[in-house]
Amino acid sequence: MQRLLVESLDTHQEYVPYGERPEWQDLTPIQQDEGSLAPLAPIMYGDEYKDSTNYFRAIVQKGEYSERVLEITEHIIRQNPSHYSVWQYRYDTLLAIKADLIAELELMDEIATTFLKTYQVWHHRRLLITHLRAPRPELMFIANALQADKKNYHTWAYRQWILAEFNEDELWDGELPFVEQMLSDDLRNNSAWHHRFFVVWESGVRAGEEDRETLVKREIAFTKTKIARAPNNASAWNYLRGVLERTSSPFSVLEAFVTPYAQPPSPEDESEWVSDDEASSTKSPTAKSSDLAETADDAVLDLENPIPSARAELPCPQAIEFLADIREQSAQNNGTTARSDIDEAIKLYASLATKYDTMRERYWEFRQREASKLIPAIA
Amino acid sequence: MGSKELATLVHVSYIQSLGKATDDLAYHLTAHLRLNAIYWGLMALCVMKHKDALDRGEMIEFVMSCWDDEAGGFGAHPDHDAHIVPTLSAIQILHILDAPDQVDVPRIVSYVISLQNSSGSFSGDQFGETDTRFTYCAVSILSLLGKLDTLDEQKTIGYLRKCRNFDGGFGNTEGAESHAAQVFVCVATLAILDRLDEVDQDMLGWWLAERQLPNGGLNGRPEKLEDVCYSFWVLSSLSILKRVHWIDANSLISFILSAQESMASDLEGGGIADRPGDTADVFHTVFGAAGLSLLGYPDLDDLDPVYCMPSRLIESLGLKKDWVALGRRTL
Ligand SMILES: [Zn+2]
Repeated sequence: MQRLLVESLDTHQEYVPYGERPEWQDLTPIQQDEGSLAPLAPIMYGDEYKDSTNYFRAIVQKGEYSERVLEITEHIIRQNPSHYSVWQYRYDTLLAIKADLIAELELMDEIATTFLKTYQVWHHRRLLITHLRAPRPELMFIANALQADKKNYHTWAYRQWILAEFNEDELWDGELPFVEQMLSDDLRNNSAWHHRFFVVWESGVRAGEEDRETLVKREIAFTKTKIARAPNNASAWNYLRGVLERTSSPFSVLEAFVTPYAQPPSPEDESEWVSDDEASSTKSPTAKSSDLAETADDAVLDLENPIPSARAELPCPQAIEFLADIREQSAQNNGTTARSDIDEAIKLYASLATKYDTMRERYWEFRQREASKLIPAIA
Repeated sequence: MGSKELATLVHVSYIQSLGKATDDLAYHLTAHLRLNAIYWGLMALCVMKHKDALDRGEMIEFVMSCWDDEAGGFGAHPDHDAHIVPTLSAIQILHILDAPDQVDVPRIVSYVISLQNSSGSFSGDQFGETDTRFTYCAVSILSLLGKLDTLDEQKTIGYLRKCRNFDGGFGNTEGAESHAAQVFVCVATLAILDRLDEVDQDMLGWWLAERQLPNGGLNGRPEKLEDVCYSFWVLSSLSILKRVHWIDANSLISFILSAQESMASDLEGGGIADRPGDTADVFHTVFGAAGLSLLGYPDLDDLDPVYCMPSRLIESLGLKKDWVALGRRTL
C-alpha cells in the first residue's frame, strides 16, 4: 500500500535558485502556508524544494500556462513525484499551450522508470495516450517496466487499461506469449496469473478461440504443468478453480490430476523432504521423453496428469480442498454413493483443520458443517 | 498471547512528536498526505484511548485551512488542490472532534457528486485518476454527511461489480488484480449501501483468510510479503463479512506486536512498522492498532470497520452496520 518513503534528492547538481535566474525575475515567490501547524523554528528543509515550490505557488496564483511551467513542474516532480497538484497543473499547461505530447511521453518514459511506484506517473501517461491514441508502443514500454518490478500493481493495471481501452486485435495478439514469459520468469507471480485470466476469459472471444471446450482444455493443461513444477502455489490453484467455475465445468475432470497432490508422503519418503517444492518436475508433458523414462519407474505414465516431483512438499492443502469439492459435487449429482462422498469430504476438511492447514482451522470446520448439511438433501 | 504487549504510551508520544518535525524535508515531501496523516494519528490515538493527546483546536484550524474554496473540497495541505481522499479525512477528523458543523455540506456534496464518471467510477480529483478507493471515499463522505440520497447507487454498484474478479476479490479499476485494500474499500462501500448481496461472501471470506502466512502476518495478494497495514484491510473486510474468526488471531496479534518500533532496539522510537525490524510510520501505526482492536486486544477502544472511525461515534450517528469483530479480551 501507500508508503511514506521519500526518494533521495541527489538528482540535480546544476541547480540554480529561481531568484537568480533572469527569466523568473517577474515572479514573487510565495511561502508555504503552514496553517496552524506552523513550525516555531525557521524552516530548515531543503532549499531547492522550498525554492521550487515557492515559485510554483506564484505561477499558480498568477494562473500562468507557459513553457516555463513545464520546467518548474518537472523540477518539482523529480524531487517529489507524489505532489498531485503539480502533476495536474503540468497537464493543464500541456493542453493549454498545445505542447508536443510525444516529447512529453518520451520524458515520461524516463520519469516513470525512476518513479515506478508513484501512481501519478501512470495516470499522467494514461492521459497522454488518451490524446495521442497510440497504444502499441506502450505494451513494450510496460513490459520493460515490469522487468524492474514484476508485481507492480499500477503497471499491470495500466497494461489492462491499454488493452481494454483500445481493444485492437494486434494489441491482444501478443498477450498470451507475454504472460507465459512472465510466468516462466516467476510462476508464483499472481499478477501474471490474474492477467492471464483477464486475457483469456474477460476480454471477449478472439479468432481461433471460438471453441471454448478446447480453450478450457488448453488452460487446464497449462496450469497443471505449472502446478507440477510448484505444487504449493495458491495463484495457480486459484486460476484452475476460476477456469472451472467460469466455464461451469465439473471439478471431477481434475480428480486424477489432483489426487497425488493430496496424498501425504509415504513414511520412507519423508526423510528426503526439501523445504520448497520448486523442483523441476521431470514428469511434465513438456519434459523430454528420456527424462520421463528415467523417472517414471513402474508408475503408469499419464501425460495429461503430471505428477509432483519426489521432492514436492505434500500434501497441498489446495489439492485436498479440491478433492473435497469434487466429493461434494459428486454427492450432489449421485444419489447412490452420496453418503460416502460426503463422509469423505468431511474427512478431508477435518485433515485440513487438524493437520495440514491448522491456521485456518475455523474455516475448515465451517466447510465440514456445510458439507454435513448436504446429508438430509440426498437422504 | 505471547509476552509482548502493546506499548501504548510510547506510541502516543510518537504520534504527538510527528507534528513537531516540521523542519525535516521528509515532512514537506509528504505534504500531499498531511491531512490523511492527521486522521491516521488521531484515529490511532482513539483506538488506544488517548484521543486528547493532540490539541483539538489546532487540528480543527488546520483542517479548515485545507479547504479549497474554488473546488468545494479539502486538499491535503493548505495550498494543495482539493482531492476526495483528504476530503474524507477532513470530515472524519471533524466528526471525531465533534465539530462536524464546520463544513459547507452542500458544496462538498456537489463536489463529491461531480467526481462520478459516466461508468459509475469516481475520480479522485479533476486530474481524473479513477480507483475504487475513491468510490469508498465518496460513499463514506455522503453517508457521514447524511446525504446518501444524492448518490446514483445503481451506477456506483454497477461499477464495483465490474471490478470484481474470478477469485472473489476486487481490484482498483476494471480488469485489475484483486488486492486486499481494494477488497476493503469495495466491501465497505457495499456495506454502507446495504448491498453485501453483491459479493460471494464465503468465497471472498476464504480469499481473505488465505492472506494469512505461517508467521501470522497478512499479505495483500497471493505470494506477496506480509505487512501490518493488511491487518486492517483484511480484518475489517472479514468483520464486515462476519468471518473474522477464520484467521488465527493469536499469531496475527504476535506479528503486529513484533512490528512495534519500541520492540526493536530503541524504546524511545514508538510507532508500528510494516513488519518487524523496519522503521515505524503513522500509517502502519493506525492500521496495526486498528487490527489489534478488531482482534479483541485488551484495553483498546472499539473500532467501526466500515468507516474506520470510533465505533461509538458511528453508532451515535445511526450509521452502524451489522458487522462482527472479536470480543474484547482482558489482560
Ligand atoms: Zn503497508
